[in-house]
Amino acid sequence: MAKIGVFICHCGENIGAKVDCTKLAATLGEHPGVAIAVDYKYFCSDPGQESVKKAIRDNNLTGVVVAACSPRMHEATFRKACAEAGLNPYMCEIANIREQCSWVHNDPVQATEKAADITRSMVEKVKRNNNLQPIEVPVTRRALVIGGGIAGIQAALDIANAGQEVVLVEREPTLGGHMAQLSETFPTLDCSQCIMTPRMVEAAQHPKIRLLTYAEVVGVDGYIGNFHVKVKMKARYVDTESCTGCGDCITKCPNKKILSEFDCGLGKRPAIYTPFAQSVPNKPIIDKANCTYFKNGKCKVCVKVCQLNSINFEMQDEFIDLEIGAIVVATGFQVQDNSVYGEYGYGKYKDVINGLQFERLASASGPTSGKILRPSDGKEPETVVFIQCAGSRDPSKGVRYCSKICCMYTAKHAMLYAHKVHGGKSNIFYMDIRAAGKGYDEFTRRAIEEDEASYLRGRVSKVWEENGKLMVRGVDTLLGIPVVIAADMVVLATAMVPQPDAKDFAKTIGIGYDEYGFFNEAHLKLRPVESSTAGIFLAGACQSPKDIPDSVAQASASASKILALFSKEKLEREPVVATNNEATCAGCWGCVLACPYNAIEKKDIVDRSGKVIKRVASVNPGLCQGCGTCVTFCRSNSLDLAGFTEKQIFAEVMGL
Amino acid sequence: MSIQEQYKKRVRELLSSGAVKMVIGYQAGTTADRRRPLFIRTPEEAEKLVLDSACIANLSGYLVTEGLLSDEKSVGIFLRPDGIRSINILAAEAQLNPEQVVILGFDGNDKEVTALQGEKARDFSAIIASIKEHAPEAPRNPQLEQIEKMSPKERFAFWQAEFSRCIKCYACRQACPMCYCRRCIVDSNQPQWVNTSSHTLGNLEWNVVRAFHLSGRCVGCGNCDRACPVNIPLRLINAKMAGEVLGAFDHFAGMSETQEPVLASFKKDDSETFIL
Ligand SMILES: Cc1cc2nc3c(=O)[nH]c(=O)nc-3n(C[C@H](O)[C@H](O)[C@H](O)COP(=O)(O)OP(=O)(O)OC[C@H]3O[C@@H](n4cnc5c(N)ncnc54)[C@H](O)[C@@H]3O)c2cc1C
Ligand code: SF4
Ligand code: SF4
Ligand code: SF4
Ligand code: SF4
Repeated sequence: MAKIGVFICHCGENIGAKVDCTKLAATLGEHPGVAIAVDYKYFCSDPGQESVKKAIRDNNLTGVVVAACSPRMHEATFRKACAEAGLNPYMCEIANIREQCSWVHNDPVQATEKAADITRSMVEKVKRNNNLQPIEVPVTRRALVIGGGIAGIQAALDIANAGQEVVLVEREPTLGGHMAQLSETFPTLDCSQCIMTPRMVEAAQHPKIRLLTYAEVVGVDGYIGNFHVKVKMKARYVDTESCTGCGDCITKCPNKKILSEFDCGLGKRPAIYTPFAQSVPNKPIIDKANCTYFKNGKCKVCVKVCQLNSINFEMQDEFIDLEIGAIVVATGFQVQDNSVYGEYGYGKYKDVINGLQFERLASASGPTSGKILRPSDGKEPETVVFIQCAGSRDPSKGVRYCSKICCMYTAKHAMLYAHKVHGGKSNIFYMDIRAAGKGYDEFTRRAIEEDEASYLRGRVSKVWEENGKLMVRGVDTLLGIPVVIAADMVVLATAMVPQPDAKDFAKTIGIGYDEYGFFNEAHLKLRPVESSTAGIFLAGACQSPKDIPDSVAQASASASKILALFSKEKLEREPVVATNNEATCAGCWGCVLACPYNAIEKKDIVDRSGKVIKRVASVNPGLCQGCGTCVTFCRSNSLDLAGFTEKQIFAEVMGL
Repeated sequence: MSIQEQYKKRVRELLSSGAVKMVIGYQAGTTADRRRPLFIRTPEEAEKLVLDSACIANLSGYLVTEGLLSDEKSVGIFLRPDGIRSINILAAEAQLNPEQVVILGFDGNDKEVTALQGEKARDFSAIIASIKEHAPEAPRNPQLEQIEKMSPKERFAFWQAEFSRCIKCYACRQACPMCYCRRCIVDSNQPQWVNTSSHTLGNLEWNVVRAFHLSGRCVGCGNCDRACPVNIPLRLINAKMAGEVLGAFDHFAGMSETQEPVLASFKKDDSETFIL
């Protein structure tokens, strides 16, 4: 005989104000199989939980229903309490009478009736619950970090320094990401490369880090603790083992007119190249699309100059399979394509550039060796106009959010300009100055007060060319007057947007993303570094626009989550898994195909002589995530889900 | 030589050479316009074979009879294009090995039949592809169009009236080559999702389940429709569901032996954004 205990929580006023909990207890007390039904102000409190435990022991309860808030809040709490009182935790269920009842209804009479229905249906379910034992699965203690910008490098180093193995995958030929392209960094103006390159080298040389550059993750299977990852190693056409990085091939390659991606199109590079002098690894690759040999079948100058025979035009893409326990996604961002701003003349006038291009001009290792020179004629600009929010906070250009870093880097640009071009005049059009952060407001003040940046609050409507000058028409809303400035260079503070392939990539590895393509965190406030998929964590600008300090902080947070996961040898998993009835299975393999976790295998049923008499589906409980997809698919109704069996669900529905 | 005689000869050859152990075809039925299945095991029995425009039943369901193909020997079978599509689905759903099925293909109208060239299901893929291509412009069932014009309420009333006659004999299921499960969901009684008694709710549940289980799988052979003793127009439901999967997923049932079942497969470029 079932002896169910029903515990009805007022949740203070949350439930109590709408649902008559005392009456509800009386109603449920009458229900067949209910041994005890009581209400209390806060069952989740310490005395509340104690009273549940006491009731279990005193009444020899066989099952418990807590009518309270969403199971997402306190299912774990009450299951633990039940276990402490000697009841199998899976004999405890939550009836959600808060989110699904009191919060959404006004009429107390109807709300109380509905609460009774919800609770009763849960009682009917619990009567059919079974004891379940958690499943233990081994944890592969090896982390995968995808993306080798500052966020990825930080996460990899933190995990590796704690003694765990890391595979760091970067799709470009070198580590570094955007930070390697920056000149100096706010708010301290330290040289970006000087603080970045040692990190890159440290990551590459770390004994616990396996670095895979020019590589892409093409498939992720499995689940937390046990991911199977496929990585594509793109052909470099240079054997990194034998190549010493001497660079003879780079100097001799006759095809030197290719626009450098690293220099944002402001400099040139050959067809065999390293993106920049401090690349890690410092071994060249051949740009197949632009290589004369690949295009015309003739050249091979590089092959001739290479003393070590490291160049191999026959090289093919290779695939590596990795066993991984946890993943950090740190794939970063892109700057928005400014051509959406036709009115600002980006792409039309050579001297209208974006912020990242300005970084390259200001960088000592950049195409102008750190001198601020106009791309059109190489002259020093006497007047520069900076346009903030060129993309951000502009729904008409598709970006509603604030990119968070542009106010800061524009102030930085104005300062660098003032330091490098004495007497240069900078004008900054802005909407608001957002400089919240340690030392940030002081930084923008410095640009205004010490480096004489002139801030104009207002938008720019048009940029056009006149007598060799870029005419910038805008409005100064504080004075209420239109302004036209004749400038030598215009710098657009472009929005930070997700990587162009972010959505596809998210689908490949199985995480969620928002309308723009930034990856979704499990909970914006309480779980900001976890993705919605267990075992996959986020770091850096791939989740939302971030500056370096924020990216690094999130990377270290992800690393610490992974180290916690790796601190145990085994992982306990919910026993909510599917099982198959082999007698009724028709072997149609629909479930095999439908299962998003590849958890269903084909199994032969053989007779005594070993002859296959039937082939059926078989669920691997280690892989099954309990999503129930297969159960809904199976036409012969052969699959069932522990903890949510058809009998339980049916009873639940009929109990309404 | 008439097509019937040609095929008789072919059947005799297949059996006497041992290429097949049996041929499933048609013989005369109880009335002049009816045919019944014929299971030919010896060359002599081929004499009984009839092949004419009255041969309309889709015989493919007999192939999944328990144990028939487990000895890995081949079986010959008379099939129209819809029946060949059924073989593709049965193969795609691992119910038979298409290599064991030797097809004696034919097609035609209500007056005469013509032979189709080919032996294995895949030999007929061009014919099937052209049927799919022409599916959108094929004349639509006028009654279906009428039902589509109804308001949801009228439509529900229409179907309730139709289903009210259902006696839960499951003849539609028995006749359908796609209903091969050894235990149908309606026979599962722990819990009893689909009510066994033939009352309004039970009848609705059964017919809705049938429609869903066959959407993307039904080839429109009409076996079920003809089997129904109370003349429920099952062809309308079948045609509607086939049109829906064709429109929504570009899925035409039975295109090939490897076609993925539409309701169990997932494409990355699916337009439903809620899917991760
Ligand atoms: C103009 C400008 C100036 C800035 N100035 C400053 C400043 O002064 N101070 C400051 O704090 N911040 C500054 N920032 C912000 C700073 O650049 C970012 O905060 C930082 O680069 C974010 O690091 P990340 O590792 O998240 O992303 P990224 O630097 O974008 O690195 C991501 C890496 O992942 C790789 N990747 C992407 N997709 C894949 C994939 N599918 N597989 C494998 N690898 C992949 C990329 O190739 C890249 O190497 C500036 C930004 C801009 C645009
Ligand atoms: S869907 Fe059902 S019948 Fe088909 S293989 Fe899976 S368990 Fe068996
Ligand atoms: S419940 Fe079924 S579909 Fe979902 S993971 Fe488990 S086996 Fe796969
Ligand atoms: S549902 Fe009817 S028409 Fe469709 S394949 Fe089955 S028997 Fe043929
Ligand atoms: S054949 Fe007709 S009466 Fe029989 S179960 Fe099917 S729909 Fe109902």
